[in-house]
Amino acid sequence: MMTMSKSTHAPAPASGSAGPGVPISPPARKSRRRLPRNASLILGLILTTIFLTVALVSFFYLPSNPNIPVIRNRLLPAGTPGHWLGTDVLGRDIIAQLMVGARTSILVGAGGATLSLILGTIAGLAAAASGKITDEAISRGADILLSIPGMVTALVLAATMGSGALTTILALTAFFTPSFTRVIRSAAMGVLNEDFITAAKLYGRGKIFVLARHVLPNIAGVMIVQFTLYFAAGILTEAGLSYLGVGVHRPSISWGLMLNEAQQQVGVSSPLAIWPGLAIVLMVLGLNLLGDGLRDVLDPKLARRAS
Amino acid sequence: MAIYVLRKLVFFLGAIFIASVAIFLLIRGAGGNVAAVVLGKGATPEAINALAHSYGLDRPLFVQYFDWIGNMLSGDLGRSFRTNERVSDLVTARLSVSIPLALSGLILGLIIAIPVGTYAARNVGTPSGAILALISQVGVAVPVFWAGILLSLLFGVRLGWLPTGGWTDWSVSPWGAVRSLVLPVLSLGLIMAAVLIRYVRSAVLDVMNQDYLRTARAVGMTRTEALLKVGLRNASLPLVTIVGLQIAELIGGTVIIETVFSLPGLSRMMLANVAAREVIVVQSTVMLIIIFVIGVNLLVDLLYGILDPRVRSSR
Repeated sequence: MMTMSKSTHAPAPASGSAGPGVPISPPARKSRRRLPRNASLILGLILTTIFLTVALVSFFYLPSNPNIPVIRNRLLPAGTPGHWLGTDVLGRDIIAQLMVGARTSILVGAGGATLSLILGTIAGLAAAASGKITDEAISRGADILLSIPGMVTALVLAATMGSGALTTILALTAFFTPSFTRVIRSAAMGVLNEDFITAAKLYGRGKIFVLARHVLPNIAGVMIVQFTLYFAAGILTEAGLSYLGVGVHRPSISWGLMLNEAQQQVGVSSPLAIWPGLAIVLMVLGLNLLGDGLRDVLDPKLARRAS
Repeated sequence: MAIYVLRKLVFFLGAIFIASVAIFLLIRGAGGNVAAVVLGKGATPEAINALAHSYGLDRPLFVQYFDWIGNMLSGDLGRSFRTNERVSDLVTARLSVSIPLALSGLILGLIIAIPVGTYAARNVGTPSGAILALISQVGVAVPVFWAGILLSLLFGVRLGWLPTGGWTDWSVSPWGAVRSLVLPVLSLGLIMAAVLIRYVRSAVLDVMNQDYLRTARAVGMTRTEALLKVGLRNASLPLVTIVGLQIAELIGGTVIIETVFSLPGLSRMMLANVAAREVIVVQSTVMLIIIFVIGVNLLVDLLYGILDPRVRSSR
């Protein structure tokens, strides 16, 4: 299945139209077919598991309180026993802050992705299964919402509701639901055209039953893949909002918030600006790789389209 | 074509109308008593009522909505509660920062992404193609503000070549303005490029698999010739769409980058007004941004209709 999904685009340049000036060696082709896709799934899984574990551990164990300033410990360098990545300008341990940051990223990212998955699935299924007018209304509505920049939605929500983790989750939901709706709608449309759906209908099954029993299981792959990718996008967006000061704030800790605080001390201690950024990149990279890898396993059709 | 344009125009106006209602309800519905927030805790009920009255905030919501829309249509975007400045002045003063920033960021992104994405598509399966795919995968995971912080660490703090932030106005020194924009544009452009490379790559891959490209090769064009003469034109269609879709992303990136480099642009003005709960300023500025984004998408649709006759008839 994996080789199939990758081979749709790949052979063309190699067998069909490879010019004399562009030799493509067989070993390279072989490694492309096998390695990268498996590798992205495995690497993604490893990175994601590490961060999930760190977030879980942070509930039971932290090296020290990440919010209480200890002035005699200020700006310890990395490698100090007890503070292996050093401390910030108020003497708070970096590792402890990163651990709580992982928790925040995952809760907010997953929260936003889950809510928009639920709403997007309901709207997408409704659009796919009902008449032309409902479909048109939902699809056009999603188009309109998509044209509102997510950052702007988040700012408006922060202006009206005050900032915080919950506002951030709602902003992500408002941001992601329209695109979820579109993806689910088109996936469901594909399933609804299959013969076994016609058979189920002829058998006398109702619309809701068909959707729940036949359509949902068949688009579960798409849903999982999209969830993973929006999880990653949610973490990036949350970091940005917290950096701007309209997302999560203390006593909650977010990697974006840490970068905001670190930037004010960039002249003093640049490593402070490195660790939270690195954490964001690795976590988002992990989820994106996982999503791409899962897509090949669960949803070869989509993988082919997205190359 | 006329029907196609008309349909798109109707959608454009409908979208703006719906967006305006949504923004208005969201801000007014969830915003609480605006006058009380503006005056702060010590305000007497009389003062709050007087302020609410002077801004017409005590009228029914739908009257306020049509008032706002009517004023916007005649070019009056309202005034700030605290400073009484006109929103249109607030906005135009910031455009000389935001527009060059966003536009150069997008252009830089395209300048990097088009050749690199095409190269990546032509080298699918080779080591260099795999490395490019990995680089853009990592680039997509880098938050734009972290890229900004790292660049300012390197070029500003360590090397001291460029300012780490702040703004020299065009009227004071055009060279100074350019210097303050270099790092922000670089951060924005690099992150845009990482996203765009993947789109360009898959657009070119799609084109490479088409029959017309094989035909072009069959009549004797080299691979590069065929791609440039036949492929590029066809790949430009999805590219136009992507640029349209990326406008919303671009605005989000600009918001953050202006904060990273303390540039006095549109989004910094927005952020300050969000913090101060200046609902009229936020509401009107948001509406302007949305009209802009929807407008760009309308242009993209129309351009698409011009470039590709099939689109006109099928939709």
